[in-house]
Amino acid sequence: MGPGKPPPPPRTELDGFLAGAGYKVRSSDLHHVAQRLERLESAMVSSPSHVVSHLTSDTVHYNPADLVSWVDSLLSELTHSYHHPNNSSAPTSSTSSSSHSLPVDLDDLFAIPSAANNWLQPEMPLSQPPQLTVFTTMEEDSGIRLVHALMTCAELVQRGDLHLAGTLVDEMTALLTRINTGCGIGKVAGYFIDALSRRVSGAGSAPASPHETEILYHHFYEASPYLKFAHFTANQAILEAFEGHDCVHVIDFSLMHGLQWPALIQALALRPGGPPILRLTGIGPPSPDGRDTLREIGHRLAELARSVNVRFAFRGVAVSGLEDVKPWMLQVSPNEAVAVNSIMQMHKLLGPDPSPIEPVLSWIRGLNPRIVTLVEQEVNHNQTGFLDRFTEALYYYSTVFDSLEAACPVQPDKALADMYLQREICNIVCCEGAARIERHETLAQWRDRLNRSGFRPLPLGSNAFKQASMLLTLFSAEGYSVEENEGCLTLGWHSRPLIAASAWQASPLSAAIADGDN
Amino acid sequence: MTRDKEEKRRPVLFINDHADILLEILKRLDGRSLCTAACVCRLWRALATADSVWEHLCLRRIVSPPPSSPGSSVRPVVSALGGYRRLYMLCVRHLLTRLDRDPGGRWRTSSAWDELQLSLSLFCVDYYERLGGRFGDTAATSSLMFLCKPVNV
Repeated sequence: MGPGKPPPPPRTELDGFLAGAGYKVRSSDLHHVAQRLERLESAMVSSPSHVVSHLTSDTVHYNPADLVSWVDSLLSELTHSYHHPNNSSAPTSSTSSSSHSLPVDLDDLFAIPSAANNWLQPEMPLSQPPQLTVFTTMEEDSGIRLVHALMTCAELVQRGDLHLAGTLVDEMTALLTRINTGCGIGKVAGYFIDALSRRVSGAGSAPASPHETEILYHHFYEASPYLKFAHFTANQAILEAFEGHDCVHVIDFSLMHGLQWPALIQALALRPGGPPILRLTGIGPPSPDGRDTLREIGHRLAELARSVNVRFAFRGVAVSGLEDVKPWMLQVSPNEAVAVNSIMQMHKLLGPDPSPIEPVLSWIRGLNPRIVTLVEQEVNHNQTGFLDRFTEALYYYSTVFDSLEAACPVQPDKALADMYLQREICNIVCCEGAARIERHETLAQWRDRLNRSGFRPLPLGSNAFKQASMLLTLFSAEGYSVEENEGCLTLGWHSRPLIAASAWQASPLSAAIADGDN
Repeated sequence: MTRDKEEKRRPVLFINDHADILLEILKRLDGRSLCTAACVCRLWRALATADSVWEHLCLRRIVSPPPSSPGSSVRPVVSALGGYRRLYMLCVRHLLTRLDRDPGGRWRTSSAWDELQLSLSLFCVDYYERLGGRFGDTAATSSLMFLCKPVNV
């Protein structure tokens, strides 16, 4: 582990203190160390005892002064202990060649942490544990280098220097081969590098067919609690808003497979006083191959409603985008209570001027809904500056992928769920203008927008919170948390909110006019 | 001589002659024991797999259901969706084990009725997905798989 090597010159005072205490770690890496310690803790808890007992013996395996690689070595040993060590044999032979293939500019762009100097020594005679140490040191270091390189590349793209950005993309791809792209930073970096290369080369991303989108959505639904949280919370709010009404009409902005509605139908069936007459209008893309997917979903829901004795009527509205929906298509009748439900759809309307969001919000308000449920990603991916957007996306999706890894070991679901997220990443990074539809905005921004458009917030209530918390305990990963935020609920991973659910109601007209005068 | 001893050893009460007492006993068992009981003989199987016993098991923890939704109105809905035994096997069982593992959780102010409601909602989604199979949708996978995964405590 290079015990004789001095640490690099301290950049900040904190670095100086750390170095003086004998820790070879930079203050900028401490965040990384903390994250790794958290993962180490969960890995230790979930590992079988024979692996952990080896760590609890008194012998010191790795030099704890070098915090970054120490914690990562422990973590990798725990997680890699089931894997064959053949993946650790590859790097040792490639170290000497790869250190030469990196051009000098890359090294100048960021300083190499001291521990990385190890892998520049070729041909080390290695026995098994030190081999693992070398591999993980390199992986850890490669991860940090990749993140730095990604930021630099994004900055180059923002400046318009596409040629240099392209070279950097090639180098990052080479760097990628040396780390584990199955999980962690390697996987996320891989997706971002792919998206950047598409942007630089001008290839762009091919839009997915509606059928593909539905399948990916379904697998994302099963692999993670985000969509379930969205559906259950929205349903609870709609159920409470429909209390006392006998004719109710739900307008779903994106029907997909209609997975949200069985639970609502069942809850309405069991509601005190009996079920109301339920109408559901599902909006979705037109199906290309002649099948009427919307109608099929409608049939399925109708069959379910019939089994539980709820009077049900379905109507499908096939449009390619929400901006094409006209209120007359929804056929709202005056005596029914209307609920508008939008799960991660409204952000698609935030495109460049003339932005369709204002007209859509205005006709929604015109329907006089009892409740509008809005669930959106809790992050700002709609900034005009590319670098800012890229940075936000990198941190956001790293967190989401982290949470997926913990929650879903089942393979087919996880791979397709990853693809679902990958498409979002690609859209955020490669596309511009009208093609960029994943224009996520934060809860605070939505609040602002809806308040200005004549809506007022409807607090979600303790039942929704209880239900969401109960739902979360059913998921095997322990990092999820439900938080309440001024009447809205957010679901996050390790206290970083990732998805926010809120409910709204049209403000009385006089209040809206008064606001308009100000 | 052996026949004499046998006659002395034969129990006075043969439980299979008293199905009503047997039913009362079965109603007090937990899910696992009930399944074991169903393997004993045909009579036990008929009694232990009857939905009323499983209904009792599911609703047992509910001390007082809200008067607005008495058990009798829940029954037709549950039967339509597949019955209490399936509800217990698919949802209630996992919910109870997961919740028991986290007794100090913040949400513990929720009642057993809330827990049943959540189980019912998940059960309904499962029923809906099975309907998808009948309608020829080959991509119908089970959304309740997450309940069957081992919990890392």
